[in-house]
Amino acid sequence: MFLAWREIRQNKLRFALVTAVLLLVSYLVFFLSGLASGLAGLNREAVDKWQADGIYLTDESDKSLTQSMMEADLADEVEADEAAVLAQTNLIADNGDVKSGVALFGIRPDEFIMPEPTEGNGFSEEFEVIASDSLKEEGFSIGDELDLSGSEETLTITGFTDEARFNAAPVLYMNLDDFEKVRPGAAALAQQDEIAGQEEQSGMVNAIVVRGAQPGDVPEDLEYMESETFIENLPGYTEQNLTLTFMIYFLFAISAAVVAIFLYVLTVQKISMFGVMKAQGISSAYLSRSVIAQTFILAVIGVLIGFGLTVLTGQFLPAAVPVSFDYGMMAIYGAVLIVVAILGALVSVWTIVKIDPLEAISG
Amino acid sequence: MTEHVLQMDDVTKTFGSGRTEVRALKKTSLDVNRGEVIAIIGPSGSGKSTLLTIAGGLQGPTGGEVRIAGERITELGEKDRSKVRLEHVGFILQSSNLVPFLTVSDQLKLLDKVKKGNMKKDERDGLLEELGITKLAKKYPNDLSGGERQRVAIAKALYSNPSLLLADEPTASLDSDRAFEVMKLLKSAAVKKNAATIVVTHDTRLTDYVDKVYKMVDGVLHLEADKGGAEPLEEGRTDFLEKGGNEDGI
Repeated sequence: MFLAWREIRQNKLRFALVTAVLLLVSYLVFFLSGLASGLAGLNREAVDKWQADGIYLTDESDKSLTQSMMEADLADEVEADEAAVLAQTNLIADNGDVKSGVALFGIRPDEFIMPEPTEGNGFSEEFEVIASDSLKEEGFSIGDELDLSGSEETLTITGFTDEARFNAAPVLYMNLDDFEKVRPGAAALAQQDEIAGQEEQSGMVNAIVVRGAQPGDVPEDLEYMESETFIENLPGYTEQNLTLTFMIYFLFAISAAVVAIFLYVLTVQKISMFGVMKAQGISSAYLSRSVIAQTFILAVIGVLIGFGLTVLTGQFLPAAVPVSFDYGMMAIYGAVLIVVAILGALVSVWTIVKIDPLEAISG
Repeated sequence: MTEHVLQMDDVTKTFGSGRTEVRALKKTSLDVNRGEVIAIIGPSGSGKSTLLTIAGGLQGPTGGEVRIAGERITELGEKDRSKVRLEHVGFILQSSNLVPFLTVSDQLKLLDKVKKGNMKKDERDGLLEELGITKLAKKYPNDLSGGERQRVAIAKALYSNPSLLLADEPTASLDSDRAFEVMKLLKSAAVKKNAATIVVTHDTRLTDYVDKVYKMVDGVLHLEADKGGAEPLEEGRTDFLEKGGNEDGI
């Protein structure tokens, strides 16, 4: 540390440049990780909020919620501590001023996926919905009457709830009994049933969400999967996550390379000085530790400033930018950045070890 | 207990092989005692620097044996030789061997970081004063003149209480007055610290201050002059050196 710190103090500019590179890289890494978790949240927030262990879909649906169709009665057959049926459809809601693509969830109010309203009230009358509070920012408010695409009915917002976005769309929660009448094509279905002479069915749902599942005995035609698996199979979710993660990993490699090149150049400039010190008997280990310590100091400073800037930027971003900072993840990324910077410094360590003091003396 | 700090027996050094073989050093034996100052003079390319680097354990000889303070360094690996250098050898080089980003006092502190048994504080202050560089303690090498830098280099070499002091053209960048002064300091320091000193130089004027003068020609070492006592020391100028005494224990 003795040599490391004194050299940094004496050569502020060149070390400031290394730090600046690390700062910018860490800023980008932190921001991308914020974007990754923000976009992930956009997709999975609603599912996470259920705190469910798993979900049943039909096995022919290939883990796709929209393609899965089953009778709601099957909920009684699955073996789990708690089970909740879920019907889902995507449509456009229009309050007269704004239109928004939403995911409409049909649920039973006495089951565990029923959300607590953070504002307003839950649904009690026919065609009432609890809406995602992200719709508030888009210009929706309590009491709005929503015209729906593909249906003649209108819905009324009675309350908002937080963390209610699914596959990038805000969620409207409504009673499953009403959902039947709103589902696109509902009228046609009813007609078909009439023609077939069937009584009104118990209702079709897309999935059964469970807590404390014992998926040993899965009902026929159904497939059980854990919530995480379900989320990973949301359209685009895994692809988007992999892309961002790939970018972050690439940035790690870039920062290792940049630090390696920068320190190597600095080390090569100091070869004769290191040689003289080695001639005096100062060990390669001591000199190497000094370079490592230097890298550590620079990396920590760079990462901390990068972190500060990221958090600061986060305060000023418009709500439309889907960034949410997962500080635990950022701490891990920061630590990884420091480690890869030190890996980059190993090139210099190798150079120092190979310096022949004789050449420094006679040169 | 041997008085020889440096013993070189039948040391040879050959570079290359076959037709391109260069025998830089032909069978050379050289013993240097405690408190003895010798000069090796000779034209450039004669092998005197090679001899000095072998004596300092910076490179191994092709044949023969070298002992520093009784240790056979010819049998040691680079890591252990590095330790011997740190313990026993002080180098003063032609171009100053100072670290550019350390102040004069930090140059010495660096040695404290890597080695124990360096000079104590009052001893160090005495050394800096004797060399006339007390006021430079907070300055960086770039702010010093050539003479000042060389005196700092001497201070650095002596600070670790070496038993063998090797100087390669220590006065090359200095004018005559400065050169004489530096030689005088080297001599007095060597005597009082009881270190063996080898000065490689092409400047024959400096040989007034040494005990023995060797001449190197084409890899062969001849004894030119053995003056026994050489110049008497000026009284009072080297008081600082007596405080520490001989702490090397060899």
